[in-house]
Amino acid sequence: MKTKHGVSGQSRLERRWGLLLAMPAIVGFIVFTLVPMAASAVISLTDWTIGSAASFVGVDNYLQMFTRDPLFLKSLGVTTYYTLGAVPLTLIVAFAIAMLLNAKVRGLGVYRTIYYLPTLVPSVANAVLWLWIFNPDFGLLNSTLRQLGMPTSNWVFSEAAVVPSLILMSTWGFGNIMVIFLAGLQGVPRHLYEAVAIDGGGAWRQFRHVTLPMMTPVLFYNLVTSIIGTFQVFNQAYIMTQGGPNNASTFYVYYLYTTAFTKSEMGYASALAWALFVLVMVITVVLFRSSRRWVYYEMGAAR
Amino acid sequence: MTTDPRSLPPGLSRRTFLGAGALTAAGLGLFGCGGQSTTKSGGSANLQFMYWGSANEKAAIEQMIQQFQKSHSDIKVQPVHVPGDYETKVNTLVASGNLPDVAYMTAPTAYRLADQGKIANIYPHIEKYAQLSGRKPQNFFWYGDKKVAGTPAASEISLLWYNKDLFTDPSTVPPATADKAWAWDRLVEVATSLTLDQNGKRPSDSGFKPDRIRQFGISAPLTTQWTWYPLIRSNGGDVTDETGTKYTLNSPECVKVFQDLQDLIYKHKVAPSPAQLGGGADGSNAPTTTVQLQTKRVAMAIDGQWTLLDMGESDLKYGIGVLPSYQEPITQEAGSCRVMSATTKHPDQAIELYAYSVDGANSDLFKKGLWMPVETKYYSDDAAIDSWIKNDVHPPEYRTAAVDYRLNNSVRDFTQVLKNVPAIQEVLTPAIEQIATGKSPAKTVLDSLQAKVEPLLQGRYPIPNSI
Repeated sequence: MKTKHGVSGQSRLERRWGLLLAMPAIVGFIVFTLVPMAASAVISLTDWTIGSAASFVGVDNYLQMFTRDPLFLKSLGVTTYYTLGAVPLTLIVAFAIAMLLNAKVRGLGVYRTIYYLPTLVPSVANAVLWLWIFNPDFGLLNSTLRQLGMPTSNWVFSEAAVVPSLILMSTWGFGNIMVIFLAGLQGVPRHLYEAVAIDGGGAWRQFRHVTLPMMTPVLFYNLVTSIIGTFQVFNQAYIMTQGGPNNASTFYVYYLYTTAFTKSEMGYASALAWALFVLVMVITVVLFRSSRRWVYYEMGAAR
Repeated sequence: MTTDPRSLPPGLSRRTFLGAGALTAAGLGLFGCGGQSTTKSGGSANLQFMYWGSANEKAAIEQMIQQFQKSHSDIKVQPVHVPGDYETKVNTLVASGNLPDVAYMTAPTAYRLADQGKIANIYPHIEKYAQLSGRKPQNFFWYGDKKVAGTPAASEISLLWYNKDLFTDPSTVPPATADKAWAWDRLVEVATSLTLDQNGKRPSDSGFKPDRIRQFGISAPLTTQWTWYPLIRSNGGDVTDETGTKYTLNSPECVKVFQDLQDLIYKHKVAPSPAQLGGGADGSNAPTTTVQLQTKRVAMAIDGQWTLLDMGESDLKYGIGVLPSYQEPITQEAGSCRVMSATTKHPDQAIELYAYSVDGANSDLFKKGLWMPVETKYYSDDAAIDSWIKNDVHPPEYRTAAVDYRLNNSVRDFTQVLKNVPAIQEVLTPAIEQIATGKSPAKTVLDSLQAKVEPLLQGRYPIPNSI
């Protein structure tokens, strides 16, 4: 509503109301995100243990991570391993199911609901449920494998299998990503498919040359948010494995949490939080850089 | 997008609507910040009492507080029940300077807060209250000479539980007196005879299928010190030497016990692995011992005395025995520390509440089986003993298997006397998980642990010979 001669009354009114209505979110962001972040940045430069006086130690906490703390690298490794497995797998499963649910079949609404349902299960209930699925003696997985005469596993109870097991479990939560894919799929213009059909292209060519390129922005969005979310994986370690066995599932945020609240070392825990923040930021920047090469926007200027 | 005034209820203008919204938000914010401080109003003292525990414990604590308020009309007590994430809550309250007047505390946190001056030294009050002075020195948390961080309200020991229905042969029933405690080999023998696969075969039979075990002879979870610590002490071993500065978990005595416990699972196949037990690395999501005995998933189980509450409420025919013994019969004793804030506004009233809350006569949780009292009289004086064990929950053998056992054969949990326990546990727990998952022999794990634990050892907290 901008006019050449400044801002109209209507526009001023809208701006004022807009700001006012956005205020709860802005205040929330400042009070619950920005201020704590600033505080933790300061705390990360101290040796503060809760209850004791803090003294300034400079970047010593950050040096400690790389020189005197084997659990830092261990937890980072475990989390990276999990992310590299869980993110692609979840994206592929969510995309595939979104494609299926985009087809015109009877009872589509029912299917969509069923596939989305697992996402609604509270994560604690979900974790306990999967503990039983993973139970080596009676669990669904081992019982099925035994019926088929295949080798069984100790799943989350074994050092080698715990992260792959949790990756497998992570696909269970594909619902939200699937819904976003589904929305994206419905935005793909019909006429492009018709064009491929007229040129004699089959389903594969429609997918390869229309669906996939048109979906890259959605794919990119889901990739970035999934990576950020997955690096902060916590519940599975907290509820199911307590980081074990032998620290094989000590995810980064779980380690950070125990440092802060079991060992009460708030200074070091804040430094850990910042290290993760920087790492995730670097990964995100790299992804955005790479996106110029593979993400296609229909309106070129809209990126 | 602008708000359409027509969508609002009649009589509510946009301005009042928004105003109401802002007020609600502000109110919520204030609500979140308030309510933690103790205030004085009209001459009566308001105190806060913070605790953890199940629904049973919650009901009992609330009842205890009601009684206390009846006899102390000038004191109002607000119970604060924190069922989970207790350490997180404590840390947050300490950081904001709002520690409740009286609170439950784990031993490592109690010692830390005492060293930091956040909780009061209760030593000067011991003489005044019989329920405090009637305790042994090892029932207090000493952080220096004449410095006491607190004392437990209740005590616990480690016991051998069993399902009576499975012990038809009297010669196999776990002994209920310390001097008749089984040798380790006898335990393995009985456990073997009680382990059955899906086809009813025992580990000693041919054709036994170790991956299809229906009933295990014994559950002895390695992931808790309630299982392994009394046994290594029984064999003359310990986590550290007497000064608490030298690591000794790789002594032959300790290695033997850990290897025996690992062999129960992977060699003799009479005990469930952590995986078979279910419920994560520390077993916290596994079925309770009561359920495991009731469903005959296990015939015997090593678990704490506290599980008696659960057993008493089930229709399981449970029996209690003493732990197996190596060189001398030993069980582990521990109780969480009850602390008093150093900054309470009403120290006189707070110590009244403190002393009342640790008194063995002021809670029905002793009779219900969750707790064992701490005062010495409850173990030496017949009338006092009967006051808490003469009921249906406590079976007849409880007198020797628990009361006498605790009095004569208990050693204190090392996590309650050693310094720097959270850091030590951080390296100890994963190592013991390696033994529990059968990944490496006990000796390899315990030897390699030395270099990790030794730098963390900072000695023990002192326990004087007399108060």
